[in-house]
Amino acid sequence: MKKISAAKIAIYIFLIILAFIYLAPLVWMLFVSLKDNSEIFTSPFALPQQIQWENYTFAWTAGYLGKATLNSAIVCVVTLALSMVIGSMAAFAIARLRWKFAKLMMTYFMIGMMVPVHCVLIPLFKTFSGVGLYNNLLGLIIPYTTFSLPITIFIMTGFFENMPKELFEAACIDGCSIYKCFTSIAVPLSKTGLFVTGLMSFVANWNELLLAMVFISDDMKKTLPVSLSKFVGPYNTNYVQMFAAIIIAIVPTIVVYCCFSNQIVDGLTAGAVKG
Amino acid sequence: MDKLLRNKKAIVIFVAPAFLLFTFVLFIPICQSIYYSLCSYDALTKPEFIGLENYKQLLLNDKTMRIALKNSMFFMIFSCVSQLVIGLILAAFLTNIEKGRNFFKNVYYLPCVLSSAALGLLWMFIFSPKLGINQILAEWGIEGPLWLMDVSGFINLPMKVIAFVALWQYVGQSMMLYMAQISGIDKSLYEASYIDGATKPKAFLYVTLPLIRPMVGTAMSLNCIGSLKFFDLIFNMTEAGPNHQTEVLATHLYTQGFKYFKYGYASAIGVVLLILCLIATFIINKFVKVDPYEM
Repeated sequence: MKKISAAKIAIYIFLIILAFIYLAPLVWMLFVSLKDNSEIFTSPFALPQQIQWENYTFAWTAGYLGKATLNSAIVCVVTLALSMVIGSMAAFAIARLRWKFAKLMMTYFMIGMMVPVHCVLIPLFKTFSGVGLYNNLLGLIIPYTTFSLPITIFIMTGFFENMPKELFEAACIDGCSIYKCFTSIAVPLSKTGLFVTGLMSFVANWNELLLAMVFISDDMKKTLPVSLSKFVGPYNTNYVQMFAAIIIAIVPTIVVYCCFSNQIVDGLTAGAVKG
Repeated sequence: MDKLLRNKKAIVIFVAPAFLLFTFVLFIPICQSIYYSLCSYDALTKPEFIGLENYKQLLLNDKTMRIALKNSMFFMIFSCVSQLVIGLILAAFLTNIEKGRNFFKNVYYLPCVLSSAALGLLWMFIFSPKLGINQILAEWGIEGPLWLMDVSGFINLPMKVIAFVALWQYVGQSMMLYMAQISGIDKSLYEASYIDGATKPKAFLYVTLPLIRPMVGTAMSLNCIGSLKFFDLIFNMTEAGPNHQTEVLATHLYTQGFKYFKYGYASAIGVVLLILCLIATFIINKFVKVDPYEM
């Protein structure tokens, strides 16, 4: 019995050291973001001597972070809504309606999980700059929605398939149309699924860098991940303000994560179990 | 009822938006990309068909491409193996403890949901020549290496540093997948094995591992595709420098396409990337993945 508890203690020590490796950089970044620029060189690991809130105000205004946060929020929320609506509609048709090509359609959508965004980047860039979607938030919303669809369709199909058939039969006998079946029965009963997929697409799109970098060059249209890199210059990097900006950029995801970590984990595993 | 479910109009209305989006934003651009990759095409000229010239140039003459391929392969193999091993160890540890399991789980998974662009900037700072880790080392009187600039060796130090950071950021995902699978295993299987005299490590080796094999396949293919697509961390930590030594496929594509505006050439890199993704998925499906056991 004693041997087992020794093993447990070893496991706990290992886990605690690892947790320290995970949290230390983040906490340290928070401290640095409240310091003076010269303090990084003289006393990098001490607590800030005097808390410098100006770093945040500077990052927020001079770095256009306020605008960038708003842009990110607009893009993410619209994408979230669109991918939920479009994705669950397609999932409903695949899981519940009876047609020959349902399986084939599912495969078509699942290919989207494997295709890296890089190989559609150039054609999309050409097309979008041709139709005025360059430097336009809509030009980000459309591809983000498309790339959120496979996982949404995958998870929602699972939810719709598991609903009892009798539910829909009863509704039909009562004279319910197929559209009504979708909006009043299928969707309300799969709220958890919608919530999970929504969270996942929110996190993914909030952090997306490549597309946002290619499709947006106007400072006023940039999203958060892109505007962060502005704080790094080849000759002078303003570390404290950069860290303030990073904190601003990651706080929303940390808040979302702390509130809904269990659902995010569920979504991750649900999405990958068959994937 | 059946008639209602076969309503053609309803089917079209439900599927059309997703189908159209997919076709126009994914399927057609992939075809275009393949066509562009066979063309001489830059920002000023119209695409002009030149056959396989781009691929010839890319695979035979392009030194940066060789570096990028080497780095991408190193990256893929490293992250597959390291995430498999460490993810499994973490999952095994966490399923064996009761107190604080949720806390540790959430801490290890946290970096996965954070922006890798932001974390890239953070790690660039930590590994910069005069700050971060080197400050700690200096206090102990050690002169730290130039983490992100020393490019000697077949796999150079910056790539190893970046691979470590990527492991730090993404191992939580593999851990979660394995944990989900392990917690689904029937407890009576373990009880039976303990009665037969198995120790805990033995039970892990002969009961847990075979039962989570399907998930190993899934996690590995996620890792492979993820590491081939890898862009954000490298772009913000080293910008593929110094002297293209930390170039991977995705950064090479970005530089060629959007710094030098060689659209045709960059498309060829994109097609190579796509093919690698498909091959990786195929190999894993063939050799690692098995049908889930009935439990």
